[in-house]
Amino acid sequence: MAPDPTPTPAPPVLALRRATVAYERDPVVEGVDGEVAAGQSVALIGPNGAGKSTLIRAVLGLVPLTSGTIQVLGRSPQAARGQVAYVPQADTLDAEFPVSALQVVLMGRYPRVGWVRRPGAADRRVAGRALAEVGLAERASARFGTLSGGQRQRVLLARAIAQEPRLLLLDEPFNGVDALSQDLLLAALGRLRAGGAAVVMATHDLGLAHLACGEVCLLNRHQIGFGPIGTTLTPELLRATYGGQALQLRGDGVIVARP
Amino acid sequence: MNLFEPFTIPYMQRALVEVLVLGALAGAVGVLVVLRRLAFVGDALTHTVFPGVVIAHLLGRSLLLGALAFGVLTAVLLTGLGSHRRVGEDAALAILLTSFFSFGVVLISRTRGFTADLTAFLFGRVLAVDRTDLLQTLAVAAVAAIVLAVLHKELVLRAFDPEATAAMGYRTRALDLVLNLLIALVVVAAVEAVGTVLVIALIVVPAAAARLLADRVAAMTALACLLGAAGGWLGLAVSYEVSVDHDIRLAAGATIVVVLVGLFLLAAALVPLRRRRGRVAGASG
Amino acid sequence: MSPLETFGDGFARRALLEAVMVGGLCGAVCVHVLLRRLPFFTMALGHATFPGVVLAGLLGISLFAGAAAFGAVVVVVVALLGARERVDDTSAVGVTLSGAFALGVLLLSAQAGFSRDLTAYLVGSIVTVQPGDLVTTAVVGAAVLAVLAALHKELVLGAFDRGGLAALGYPVLALDVVLLLVIEATVVTSIPAVGTILAVALIVAPAATARLWTERLRATMALAATLGAISGVVGLAISLQWRVAAGATIVLVAAALFAVSLVVAPRHGLLARRPAYVAPGSASTRPRPAARLPYEERAVSKAHSGRLAPAAMAWALCQCRLAKICSLMASIGPTALMRTRMPRRW
Repeated sequence: MAPDPTPTPAPPVLALRRATVAYERDPVVEGVDGEVAAGQSVALIGPNGAGKSTLIRAVLGLVPLTSGTIQVLGRSPQAARGQVAYVPQADTLDAEFPVSALQVVLMGRYPRVGWVRRPGAADRRVAGRALAEVGLAERASARFGTLSGGQRQRVLLARAIAQEPRLLLLDEPFNGVDALSQDLLLAALGRLRAGGAAVVMATHDLGLAHLACGEVCLLNRHQIGFGPIGTTLTPELLRATYGGQALQLRGDGVIVARP
Repeated sequence: MNLFEPFTIPYMQRALVEVLVLGALAGAVGVLVVLRRLAFVGDALTHTVFPGVVIAHLLGRSLLLGALAFGVLTAVLLTGLGSHRRVGEDAALAILLTSFFSFGVVLISRTRGFTADLTAFLFGRVLAVDRTDLLQTLAVAAVAAIVLAVLHKELVLRAFDPEATAAMGYRTRALDLVLNLLIALVVVAAVEAVGTVLVIALIVVPAAAARLLADRVAAMTALACLLGAAGGWLGLAVSYEVSVDHDIRLAAGATIVVVLVGLFLLAAALVPLRRRRGRVAGASG
Repeated sequence: MSPLETFGDGFARRALLEAVMVGGLCGAVCVHVLLRRLPFFTMALGHATFPGVVLAGLLGISLFAGAAAFGAVVVVVVALLGARERVDDTSAVGVTLSGAFALGVLLLSAQAGFSRDLTAYLVGSIVTVQPGDLVTTAVVGAAVLAVLAALHKELVLGAFDRGGLAALGYPVLALDVVLLLVIEATVVTSIPAVGTILAVALIVAPAATARLWTERLRATMALAATLGAISGVVGLAISLQWRVAAGATIVLVAAALFAVSLVVAPRHGLLARRPAYVAPGSASTRPRPAARLPYEERAVSKAHSGRLAPAAMAWALCQCRLAKICSLMASIGPTALMRTRMPRRW
């Protein structure tokens, strides 16, 4: 008997089914529904307070779902943590902390190194390569706080790269970042996607979302749209997402006044 | 002033070993306390250990065990209380620490001669340390040092980036509990030597001074241990000299703290000089 | 011995009066301490005024003068240290607190009778309060309450929106200093009753308890002052009955009130039922009870702790704006008169 030629499809990297997070009676974000496959990149777009950060935390398993499900690589978020990397905003970190850029990137190797042991030569090589990916190889021994905002954001991306993840979550990675760092971040993210990782980034920069992502999820405490960026990032849906902050231009154009 | 002569006397030798060990241990733990801005929590722990010491004293048991029991209890309570939304961490800590402390005061105030005992518990009697006390201190210090060494990288990660720590799958609450327990262990070890009120200085001051001078966690830790031990040694020597040669009785524990603060101020004065020199070198390079 | 008989002796009556006044005063001040998240600083202030008090006692000058002078020195040192790079505020306070305290111990240890005096400074000795102390407490208390009442709206606004206060033209730094001096005066006044280590409890616990029961600012202040006075009276009575340290007992009563409220207060206590979220379209299934969100909680509590009802803040803002407008109008003259509506009283 000939073996079945159709291979079982791999589970999507991230699958959300009517995911809802609520605090007491009020939903913070509800009804998020969609899938992200390997190599795809989704921009989470919405105004402040739309629930983007909460959704990211739910995917990380840091926040319990009130209803619906989230599956990462076919498993629960907690079970899949070893394959997921998170890049926070660099300005949330203490700039005076006595660590070097390389040491920050090495922190990404801790889950693989495990308890008690220290990172070894192999880990250092991975960390060094990750730093080179974001163009900071020569600043490896600089103290983290002496780097510029954009450089720090790149170091945090390098830390995530060092984790060798299948899913990458970024929270506003382009905030306050200079143009050179933006380009380097975009290039590194492109290489990650080419290597098969899926990327989900919360951003309010619509222009950069276009450059970095193929799909978009529009959020304003509930999901307004989820799909390819060409068909989903439309004036009506943007108006629905941003409400009064979206200005109608003559014709069909829309400007978002305070993204 | 002679830095070695006082330590030919046996009780001074024991006191010296005690403060060297305590200074180094408190400095190492203090690095994490300072980096995480937890000085208030450390202070709270020192006050809450006090009733344990009192109860142990009233029951005639080892002070160390009483302090240990209460130290663990309050470390757990503090970690749990940190997340109640309405009250706010500072207020809850203040209430916890003062009520525990008051409980200890109430208990001890029923005994005669309570003021002398109170003073001893609060400020220590490092010169009255005997061999058993010293061995107990060494045992506690060894346990704390092992825990610190094993979990060091995770504790530093949690201090630097709590969100990423949780995202990587570590239980931040558990790590917080470990640090609180470490602080409690240091307080317990220091109870007889410098007392509960002054131990916070041993934890915070050497580490704060080291922070001014070091750019890496490893260097900061080494410096903090060194400064802590040096402060202990100098403080003992100074208090001995002044008490014996000039006939002014200076409490040993308090002298150690004043010396440590002096070292801190010295470091604080040196920092801008370092920066200026660094900037000049960078500009010309 | 019935509770009323407990207060039969002269010293007990004086102690009672002191307890009521100190308790009430601390309660009134403590709302501001909580609004600005100052419990740690208050504790540091209490610890650091200790050498000032010791020095004053040794030199035979007024305790207030010694404490005030040293307290001012401490505030300056903390500000200078904290302004340096790499010294954060918590460490600055920790270092200063330790240094000042050790200094106080050193000064005392050189004297005889060291442990008795030390104890009195540290944990109070309310039963040896003299009529002169009562008068001082009453005068300082009245002054503090007057200042708090006069500057109420400015202090409240400054607590939640310093930028807004500065934008309206108020001297923000001066107001901060006034509040710190008020807290300092309260701490020093409480020393005879509860000592330096415990003063922070009376300055924090009543307001923390009051906040668990009400969201309105005025109600919180009144409730806090009442709870403070009650703690004083009940604590004193218990300590006289059982012959234990009075200051410590007062603090334990205040803490007990807080602990009980933490558990039973409606809406904010631990036992309060939390309303649950119902997913749309799932009326048939039992809704999952909403769980705690650890990081959201941090963000929410950061936004809310130190703040009472937003309404109270809005009221303060309106009042300050109105005051500014009135003074502006008075200076500009009737040609610039605008119609302004009185904001609603919350």
